[in-house]
Amino acid sequence: MVSSIFRAALLMLLSLTPLAGHTQANIEIDTPAIASIKRSMQQRHSQLEPYYSGGAIGFTRDGLIVMRDANAVPLAARQSVNGLIAAENQDRNALYREIARANSHPEWEADIRSTFGQRWIELARGGWWYQGADGGWVKK
Amino acid sequence: MKFLIRILAAFFPAVVSVQAASLTLSAEDIRGPLSNIKGIQITLAGAPPSSSLRMKLAEVGIQGKTWHNLHFSCDRFRTRREEINCDSGALRLSESAPLPVSFRLSVPGRTSDVKILDVRIRNSAGKTGEGWKLSLRTGRAGWEGTLTAANGEIAQVVQLLPVSENAILPSSTKGKINGVAKLRADLDGAAVIDAHLAVEDVAFSDVSGLHAGENISVTVDARARRMPRQIPGQKTHLWEWQADAHWPQGEVFWQPLYFAAHGDRFSARGEVDGSTLRLRTGRLSLAEIGEIDLSGRMDWRANTLHDFDLDAPDLQMAGLYSQIVKPFLINTSFSALKTAGQAGVKWRFRNGVNEMLDVDLRDVSLEDEGGRFVLRDINTRIPLRAAELTHAAITIGGGHVSRLPVGPVHIPLEITGLNEPDFRIPRMEAPLLDGKLTLENFSAIRQAQGSLPGWRWQFSGDLSPISMEQLTRALGIQPMRGTLSGKIPKVTFDGSAIEVQGALLLNVFDGTVLVWNLKALEPFGSAPSLMADVDMRNLDLDLLTGAFSFGNMEGRIDVAVHDLELFDWKPVKFDARLMSSPGDYSRRISQRAVQSISSLGGVGAAAAIQRSFLRVFDEFGYSQIGWSCTLRNGVCGMGGIESEPMPHGYLIVKGGGIPAITVIGYNRRVDWRELVSRLQRITDANARPVLQQDKQ
Repeated sequence: MVSSIFRAALLMLLSLTPLAGHTQANIEIDTPAIASIKRSMQQRHSQLEPYYSGGAIGFTRDGLIVMRDANAVPLAARQSVNGLIAAENQDRNALYREIARANSHPEWEADIRSTFGQRWIELARGGWWYQGADGGWVKK
Repeated sequence: MKFLIRILAAFFPAVVSVQAASLTLSAEDIRGPLSNIKGIQITLAGAPPSSSLRMKLAEVGIQGKTWHNLHFSCDRFRTRREEINCDSGALRLSESAPLPVSFRLSVPGRTSDVKILDVRIRNSAGKTGEGWKLSLRTGRAGWEGTLTAANGEIAQVVQLLPVSENAILPSSTKGKINGVAKLRADLDGAAVIDAHLAVEDVAFSDVSGLHAGENISVTVDARARRMPRQIPGQKTHLWEWQADAHWPQGEVFWQPLYFAAHGDRFSARGEVDGSTLRLRTGRLSLAEIGEIDLSGRMDWRANTLHDFDLDAPDLQMAGLYSQIVKPFLINTSFSALKTAGQAGVKWRFRNGVNEMLDVDLRDVSLEDEGGRFVLRDINTRIPLRAAELTHAAITIGGGHVSRLPVGPVHIPLEITGLNEPDFRIPRMEAPLLDGKLTLENFSAIRQAQGSLPGWRWQFSGDLSPISMEQLTRALGIQPMRGTLSGKIPKVTFDGSAIEVQGALLLNVFDGTVLVWNLKALEPFGSAPSLMADVDMRNLDLDLLTGAFSFGNMEGRIDVAVHDLELFDWKPVKFDARLMSSPGDYSRRISQRAVQSISSLGGVGAAAAIQRSFLRVFDEFGYSQIGWSCTLRNGVCGMGGIESEPMPHGYLIVKGGGIPAITVIGYNRRVDWRELVSRLQRITDANARPVLQQDKQ
């Protein structure tokens, strides 16, 4: 269920209108590398989802995730959640880089990241946390 | 509490002399050398000996710590000539819950030199005899205080502590303390501290939860004594201290480390001299790691470490890796290992800078949980010195990387510096199957700043002939004959991509393979991809077709694969052209090979040969072979010999000699996966013809 929601969200995200300022950027571009990163992120999502809902992990404006409140994670799990966050961010960074590269414009990475940053927040479910424009945390 | 004695003692004569129904004392500010109290209001109501006392202090500052709105009230405040007592008082700080406090201040005998103050804080459950008890006794020669805790609730005490941002505070009300702490002071001030305390079931956390502990039990025995310092003409002193702690239970997360108690111990002794805290000897015994000897010197007021020595000659690698090293290796190739063996660490930090770090590994093994590599019998001693060149030798007894066996390998490592070390290997040789890999001019440095922080490295090298039979067997792929050898030009890793500058030259199938523009993107990430241009020259078709059970062919071919892009070792894009090499050599193609080529275009072509007279010949002559495939989006766009265009289809094999055969392809677009599976079926069928016939 969670995975299918995520898939739908990812699909919506990847079929968004072209990037502002780069009318030719295609962020729904699909290469084996992008498909593999998406698969890896989908598989991890079910592990991350309870921490999004519980407020432990929040979405940053630059398209990554961060430990927002470690108190919401059982003590013994905090280290492994750190590992999940690091792996997810590695995938997200690779996704932005790969989409830019697949568009033959590696220099668009920053714009693609920023677009994804906004869209992840828009697609976040109610109760999840994200970083507002001033850097403070906002509960959706 | 000493301050309370002072206030009460000052108040005492006034109390006993007044006969009025109510007395209020107010003061704006009382300043002392160690304390500063503002907004004092003390009200005594009712006639002695039984009155009620209300005391409010707006702000109390003691040695830089500030408390606000301290309230104390006592409804049964009794005063007699030699005693003041309060059976049921309540102490409250700001908005905290009131603490049930009772106290008794007595002046035994006629003299006011000796004063005794007993303060009790009862447990919230109100169990008799449980809680905190502080006894202070002052006399001419000094004073003595004893704090006794009988299931003393830590939360009660903590709510009286001044709150500061980012403070680490108990996160549960469960924690209790048992034990006794004594402080004895003479006329020069505190002289002896002696504490035997057992903490049970404590939980603490900072606001972020990144520094937290739960269910912690610790026992601490600590002693400190003031000693005169041996400086002629000066009356100064220092403190000698020692402490022993035992941690039998609980867990601590201290970003990014996590520890669960296993009966770990810490013993230390040292001195405090002014603002200098000296650790003369310390020993940390970690049950799953080993024993670590520590010593050092710090300025505790400025929170600055001056000197530190750590000596741990015999640590268990398994515990050291899983508890301390692993969290720092997230997202690297070494983030999930099974480790064994022993390690030794010696670190010296002097005057605020790293001076030396010795690391030695003894019979260490590293096994990747994902099965990517195993390295066994690693032995080394690496003596790192600040601003000096270190020569270290690492030996690896054996193991494997991917499916290739490794070792034994001797790595002559040179390291410059300590804080940001620069690693070099001038030259090393590693046996690889029946050949060897030579690495030259390897250098690596860790970059902390920049857009891609992390390791950067580069090297060049050489691969001396390796039998392809052994290599393909080790890799578990189609057996091939011949040898693999070549020159490895400069290879660099910039934190994101491995790039080969220049051409990689290999010798296979009696021909040469040049790999250009070789680049691996995100080689250690979740989506590694590889890009290259490959030019193969003069490959021996006999060796090549024999290797792939394709059906024998004689001759030589050149193959160009440009813009090759592999993901997960599978091609996703390329422009490939295969053609007969120029030159004079025997050009024969077996019937089976013709069938194999035809089968790539579909089953019908192979069947057509079988039906024709050509089936009587085992092999044919040819003059040229040509084939091309442009792979895009999973579809291979095919073509044949470029110099022989055809109106329909494309020429793959141009006949020559007697008997000659010509093979023409018609299908220009084939699904790549389908083409690969056809090739797989053909080579499988040729390798196991009997089995395939039985199936049919």
